[in-house]
Parts: sequence; C-alpha cells; structure tokens
Amino acid sequence: MKLNILKVLLLGMLVIVLSAGCGKQPTEDITAAKSAVDAVISEGAEKYAPEDAKKINDGLTAAMEEIKTQDGKLMKDYSKAKEMLATVKADAETLKSGMAAKKEEAKNNAIATQEAAKTSVNEAKTILAKAPKGKGSKADIEALKADLKGLEDSLADVQSAMDTEDYAAATEKANSIKEKAAEVSSQVTQAMEKVGTKTK
Amino acid sequence: MILNIKKILCIFTLILLIGCNAPPIPPEVKLAEKQDQNLWRSGALEYIPQEYNSYKGALQKAREDLVHENFKLVWFRDYTIIQSEFREALQTGNLLFSKIEQKKQELSESIAGKISFFQNRINTLKGLTSMINEGRLAREDLIKAEVILLETQKRYENNDLKSAGEKINALSLYINAAENTLLNILNRYTDKNQITKWQQWVEDTITESGKKKILSIVINKSERTLTVYRRGIVYKTYKIGLGRNGSGDKLHRGDNATPEGRYRIINKLKHSRYHKALLINYPNEDDQKQFLLAKEKGLVPKDVSIGGLIEIHGGGRDSMTYGCIAMDNLMIDELFSIAKVGTPVTIVGAVDFQNSISSAIKGL
Repeated sequence: MKLNILKVLLLGMLVIVLSAGCGKQPTEDITAAKSAVDAVISEGAEKYAPEDAKKINDGLTAAMEEIKTQDGKLMKDYSKAKEMLATVKADAETLKSGMAAKKEEAKNNAIATQEAAKTSVNEAKTILAKAPKGKGSKADIEALKADLKGLEDSLADVQSAMDTEDYAAATEKANSIKEKAAEVSSQVTQAMEKVGTKTK
Repeated sequence: MILNIKKILCIFTLILLIGCNAPPIPPEVKLAEKQDQNLWRSGALEYIPQEYNSYKGALQKAREDLVHENFKLVWFRDYTIIQSEFREALQTGNLLFSKIEQKKQELSESIAGKISFFQNRINTLKGLTSMINEGRLAREDLIKAEVILLETQKRYENNDLKSAGEKINALSLYINAAENTLLNILNRYTDKNQITKWQQWVEDTITESGKKKILSIVINKSERTLTVYRRGIVYKTYKIGLGRNGSGDKLHRGDNATPEGRYRIINKLKHSRYHKALLINYPNEDDQKQFLLAKEKGLVPKDVSIGGLIEIHGGGRDSMTYGCIAMDNLMIDELFSIAKVGTPVTIVGAVDFQNSISSAIKGL
C-alpha cells in the first residue's frame, strides 16, 4: 500500500512537472507582435498618432512582463500573454492601416495649403504689379516687393518639408505664408488708396 | 491506511484551493500605470526628463518586484512592500504633475515674452528699413522672420509650448541677418568721430556763407532736410527725399547711395526730367580717393565706375532716387531761383549725436 501511495504522489509530481514543462514561451507571437509594432512606428505612428503608438508600446511591454511572470512560475500558462500579444498585433495592424489614410490626409492637406499659399503670393504680386507707382508710393511698393520675394523664398521651405514628408511642418509654414501674403495684398491696396487720395 | 491517503489527498486539495485564492494585486498598481500614462501625456518626458526617468526607474523597480512576487507560489505571496513601492511612486508622480505645471507656466511666460520681444524687434527693424529705404535684403529676411513668428504664435496658442520654444529660436537667424544688413549702413550714424567730421563740414559751410556773404546749402540725410543759409544764417529748410540706399555714402555707380561731402552747384538745369535740377560736382577729389581705395580693396566691382550726375531735383520727395536729392516741385522752384552755379552744397549724414537714426537703433 505504501508503494501505491508513493506511486500516486510520484505520478502527481510527474503531471505537475510535465504540465510545467509543456508551457513554452510564445516566441512566434512575440516576433509577430514586435514586427507589427515596429512596422507601424516606422510608418510614423509616433508623429501622426502618438497616443495610439504609446498605447501599443505599453501593450507590448505589459505582454512581455506577463511572459516574464509566467517564466518564473512552476505552472506556466502563456495563454494570457498570447492574448495580449494578439491584441497588440491587431491594434498595431489597425493603426498601420489607418496610418496610411492619416498620412495621405496630412499630405493632401499640405498640398492644398501649399497651393493656397502660392495662390495668395501670386495674387499679391498681381495686385502689386497693378499698383500705380505714383508720388509717395514708390518706397512702399519697393518694400512690399521685397516682402513678397521673402515669402516666395519661404515657399521653398514648404517644398522641403513636403519632400521629407513632414506634412505638419509644411502645412504650418504654408498657412503662415498665405496669411502674410494676404497682409501684403491688403497693404498694397492701402498703398493704392493712398496714391489715389493724393492724386485727386 | 486508506484514511491516511484520504487525509493526504484532502490536504493536497486544500492547499490547491488556498493556492487558487491568491492575495489581490494592490489597487496602487493600476493607479500608478494610469498615472504614468497621464504624466507622459502631460509632457513629462519633455519638461522634466531627468525626474520623469527617475520616477520611471522607481516604477519599473516596483513592477519588477511585483513580477518577482508573482513568481512565488500563491500562498507565499505578500504585496505589502510592493504596495508601498507603488504608493511612493504615486506620490512622486503627483509631485511631478505640479512640477510639470510649474515648468509649463514658466515656459509659457518665457515664450510670451520672447514673442513680444521679437515682434518689437521686427517692428523696429521694419521701421528702420522704411527710414533708410533699405527695402531689399533686410525686408526679405524680416518677412521670413515674421512667417516664423506667426508659426510660433500659433503653436503657443495651441499650448504646444515646447515646439513653440524650439520654433522661436529659428527667428534669430533672420532677425540678426536683417539687423546686420541695416547696421552696416546705420552704424555710421552713431559713430562719434564720423558725426564730429560731419559737424565740422557743416560749421565750415556756415562760416563760409557768413564770411563770403553767400548762399550755402546743407543737406542732412538722417533728418531728410535741406537747409539754405544766407550770410551764415538759416534762411529756409525744406523736406527732401534721398536715394533707395540714401543713408549710405555713395561709393560707385549704381549703389543708389547719396554722396556725403562738400560740393558745389556746377549747373542749373531748367528743363530737367525731374522738373528742375541743380547738378553738383560729385565726384569731388575726396570721392575719387575713396573710390580708388575701395577699388584697391576689392570693395567695388571691377567694371563699375564712380558714377556721377548727382542732382538736387524736383519730381517729388518720395525717396526713390538713384542717389540724387529729391524735392517737391514747388520747393525746387524756390531753391532754383535763389541758388547759383558755385553755391556750396554740403551733404552730411547727421549733425547731432542724438539723431533720428541713432535713436531708432537704440530700440534694437
């Protein structure tokens, strides 16, 4: 009987040891999740969706910690870690697919703003060209011409930002140029009015 | 014997059951995770990187201790120390929130101050460009600076303080370039030796007018005035305009600068393109010496001559001449009627140490 009890205990221990040994680190899931995260980060997630990027990074960290916890256990169970990794992977992939749209939206917005800035500068140039170079307005016109030259130079910075896919910077600068060009147009109009008043 | 086996099995089952009821993870763990997220969102990494990293280190240690504690069989787990570690991290985190707010406040005030400072500087420089008609290089740089300032203001308004702070630093490049362009022209108006020299020319001109009982003309570029002296006494003062680069001393043809020196009227042109004109003897001997010296130093382009045909003429004082002195037609009519060939014409930058340009430069 004693031998039987011993057998039962040994069998129990064997089951425990075997079940502990059966739980293997989900290396494939880890690799897949990490690759998905890397891919979305390289797509510019931290720039276009920083909150989502942090959430995914934190999710991956938490999953790795869960794996660490299970590594130290006698009865290893990586199912939770696998679930977490799967969530991270799915989130990263969702964000990546959305990223392309976000990036495209940012690009289109930058292109539209760049065009608007160019138009604004050209409009100001057209108005300035029509301004009568009368008494008292020559200096104003020369100064405004120089302003427009400066704005045209700044348009090159917008293109540089576009070339490096920094659409946020391109949009920001283009908007400022557009606003300044509109100010120049307004000043030209004022200068024209000034001349008109004086020549009456 | 059977009873013994049953006892062992019961104890084993009991142990397993107890093992399933692990002590709960302290609530501080989740709170700390949430706090970390919020700290990051508040910009901890940007505003207090060192302190935040230290906090992260402590939090990581607590996390690792939690993992380590979870390694233990459930009935040996004790989260007391872990709980206090997370509690401490939470306290530190709360302090960090206050520090971030303080830093943000400081940065906000600093950026607001810089925006105001740079705006004033741009306005002053723009004012100077209008004053001296330096409407080319300096204006181009100034409008670029204005574009950047506008971008900075928008970032500031959106509470994107860190990037606003970074953006505003790019301003100095353009403002300094504009300032250098202007100061190259304007520094002479604060130079005591230069002003003393100009004062001497004016004094000599007035003395000559008194001694010889003749009419003399003094042109003050900084004040944009032409003063007529009769027998050493002020007879009349007119407002004038200068060249596009009128505040500079003429050195060569095409520089659009108005010459400085002691000249004389050498011709009276009744039918000028600009109503009426009084031609002066630019270049005089000093101008020629200065030109040759500049040529030797390579300051003048090879094929460029010294220039000439500097006049006091009508057509309006809109300050857009190529170096001549411009007046309203009615004024040149008056001057034309009293000036003679041989009338001395002295052109100076300024006669006072505190002139309009030196005062404007002080604003920089």
